Amino acid sequence: MRTDGYAPIADYAAVGDGRTVALIAKDGCVDWLCLPDLDSPSVFGALLDAERGGRFALAPTEPFESERRYLPNTNVLETTFRTAGGAVRVTDALALPTMGFEPFRELTRRIEGLAGSVRLAWALEPRFGYGADPGRRACENGIPVIQAGADAVALRAWEAGAPEMDSAGVRGVFQAKEGQRALLVLATANQEPLVFPGRDEAERRLDDTIAFWESWTSELAYDGPWKDEVLRSVLALKLLVFSPSGAILAAPTTSLPEVLGGERNWDYRFSWVRDAAFTLEALMDLGADKEAHSFFWWLLQASQLTHPRLQVLYRLNGGNRAPERTIPLAGYRASTPVRVGNGAVEQRQLDLYGDLLQAVWIYVRRGHDLDSDTGKRIAEMADLVCTIWKEPDLGIWEVRNDPLHFTQSKMMCFVALDRACLLAEKGQIPGDHVARWRAEADAVREFVETRCYSDEKRAYVRFAGGDELDASVLLAPIMEYCRGDDERIVETIDAIRRELGGGRFLYRYTGEDGLEGDEGAFLACSFWLVEALARAGQVGEAVKAMETLLARANDVGLFAEEIQPDTGEFLGNFPQGLTHLALVSAAAALSQSRAA
Amino acid sequence: MIWGAIVGGICGTLVLTTALRAGSELRVTRIDIPFLLGTALTENRVRAKALGYVLHFVFGIGFALAYYVIFRAIGEDGWWLGGVFGLVHGLFSSSVLVNVLLPVVHPRMANPRSAAGSNPLLEAPGFLMLNYGRSTPVVTIAAHIAYGAIVGGFVSLAS
Repeated sequence: MRTDGYAPIADYAAVGDGRTVALIAKDGCVDWLCLPDLDSPSVFGALLDAERGGRFALAPTEPFESERRYLPNTNVLETTFRTAGGAVRVTDALALPTMGFEPFRELTRRIEGLAGSVRLAWALEPRFGYGADPGRRACENGIPVIQAGADAVALRAWEAGAPEMDSAGVRGVFQAKEGQRALLVLATANQEPLVFPGRDEAERRLDDTIAFWESWTSELAYDGPWKDEVLRSVLALKLLVFSPSGAILAAPTTSLPEVLGGERNWDYRFSWVRDAAFTLEALMDLGADKEAHSFFWWLLQASQLTHPRLQVLYRLNGGNRAPERTIPLAGYRASTPVRVGNGAVEQRQLDLYGDLLQAVWIYVRRGHDLDSDTGKRIAEMADLVCTIWKEPDLGIWEVRNDPLHFTQSKMMCFVALDRACLLAEKGQIPGDHVARWRAEADAVREFVETRCYSDEKRAYVRFAGGDELDASVLLAPIMEYCRGDDERIVETIDAIRRELGGGRFLYRYTGEDGLEGDEGAFLACSFWLVEALARAGQVGEAVKAMETLLARANDVGLFAEEIQPDTGEFLGNFPQGLTHLALVSAAAALSQSRAA
Repeated sequence: MIWGAIVGGICGTLVLTTALRAGSELRVTRIDIPFLLGTALTENRVRAKALGYVLHFVFGIGFALAYYVIFRAIGEDGWWLGGVFGLVHGLFSSSVLVNVLLPVVHPRMANPRSAAGSNPLLEAPGFLMLNYGRSTPVVTIAAHIAYGAIVGGFVSLAS
């Protein structure tokens, strides 16, 4: 299953507690966990360096087969191992706090013997600071503790063998017999003493965690097609919500490669303004109102630091610095460099303003009001768009070559100015400059329709005057730049399917982007195609494409950023918020198209 | 004057708490005295920290009054003598007070006789509080010397 110590990306499932996320492979190994928060350095980083990244393994000692599922309507993972001697079930969760006396963060692994007898081995090998520090090992009152700087982890084991410490970490072996239950709890601390949990409390917190997820999901309001897939997507998105601030990050990992062995490895543990409208609409559509409100207000507060300009991304705590650096890890299957931070933070991307104003419009359209300060700020952003839309930028795909007049960026500038006019009409933002916004919006549209459409290609092209195509222009009907059945966008859909299609999948674009190598098909674009087809009235085609895409989810319903069309291998960071947002949006659009 | 000791105790505790917090932010120690004190009274983490800060300041004033009594008894005071008291206080705190006595009275802290029972246990500090990081004794004792010097200085000023 593993290649050079690396599991396929599709072999992972994610568990989380609203503060951090652990990735667990099919073979029971926790290969990724950052502590204490999603954007902190990793303690388990075998995902990016199988040799020295650190892990928490738990698996039978004899050959086995495993199957997994999330417990229904939860983010709690259940893995069943079957061997010649019997079967055993492992339930994994990052336990949710109870406002009581629990560890700072707590990873709970419950092991239950189902049949016969299975010998299991576990090994805790933390490597603090992205693999840099194995920590100092000690035994405190019989409990193994490993610490480095202000971080520490302790392992409590019940009926799971006697912990033995060696130079690599702590390990144990035990026999799980039918009807027997064992428990492993990883208690962690940051800048405070460790809390060693008792067994009863840890078991109860695991049960409470399952109950919380069931309750949270029961309050969601989706009743359309592909309900299981949509609910799994929303649960995946909930894992990406950083509860202390309300920010929603793009993915919980860094540097999973867009091409194996290549340099397209980025840190996605930030919140992108680009995802704002999608996020807000998806969460509100599905009844996750609290998360939608938190994210909306977090975004407005975070962007205050750079007002009226928007930054491409913000840190989870709202900070606006994310300097990019490389760290000395081997990289997933030798894909280097491994990056921390994201250089895109300093890029100019004009589409952001459209994304934010569309999000504000969605918020208002759902019956919410803006306060006067926020309204004034939104109006100032619209004023800024009037002055900057003529400039070239690096576009939604954050290319690393020279700025260009990207079509999708210009379309989103139109969206920004048009939504500003609509918000002013509703009295939500000051309307003193409406005439200017409308005039500039018309000028942007004129630019797009005359400079960014190719009569020869019969399609909107990637950038003004070019002849390459770009799947991001499929967002035009989705972000309401134009109607779904607009002749030009329908022609563009056909052209994109011809030139960027890889089976039912789409590549993002053709042409230069300032980086070496190719990449896989982009899953969010593939779902945007489904939605664009649905909005164009080609519902049958859209359903077929949707079914094909959904069949390529991994065994627990999660998607990465990209896929290799011929092999189905996942590429890029995982699980990817934008892919799941696009899935939810496509399902909702198809539901509406079918109802119409 | 006793008021000098009280004001010195407040200012000294402020500096001591800030120094320990800075050590934590610099990632050289996991010591968190308000958390240790507060969790003796409540399981709720948030309430524990708030209560812990109050308790720490109360203890800070209490120790300053003890310093004052000793200053009066020996007929001498000053920042340097306070600093010496702080050094002794820091050594005593980390080797006996927090290491030996706190685990005995703290209802949620492990001690050498603790079995792996069902109650969650707070990590014990160990000798010189080394369990909370190798640099913990240095940070703690330096902070206590600063505390003592401030108390001694204020008592001297008020005399």
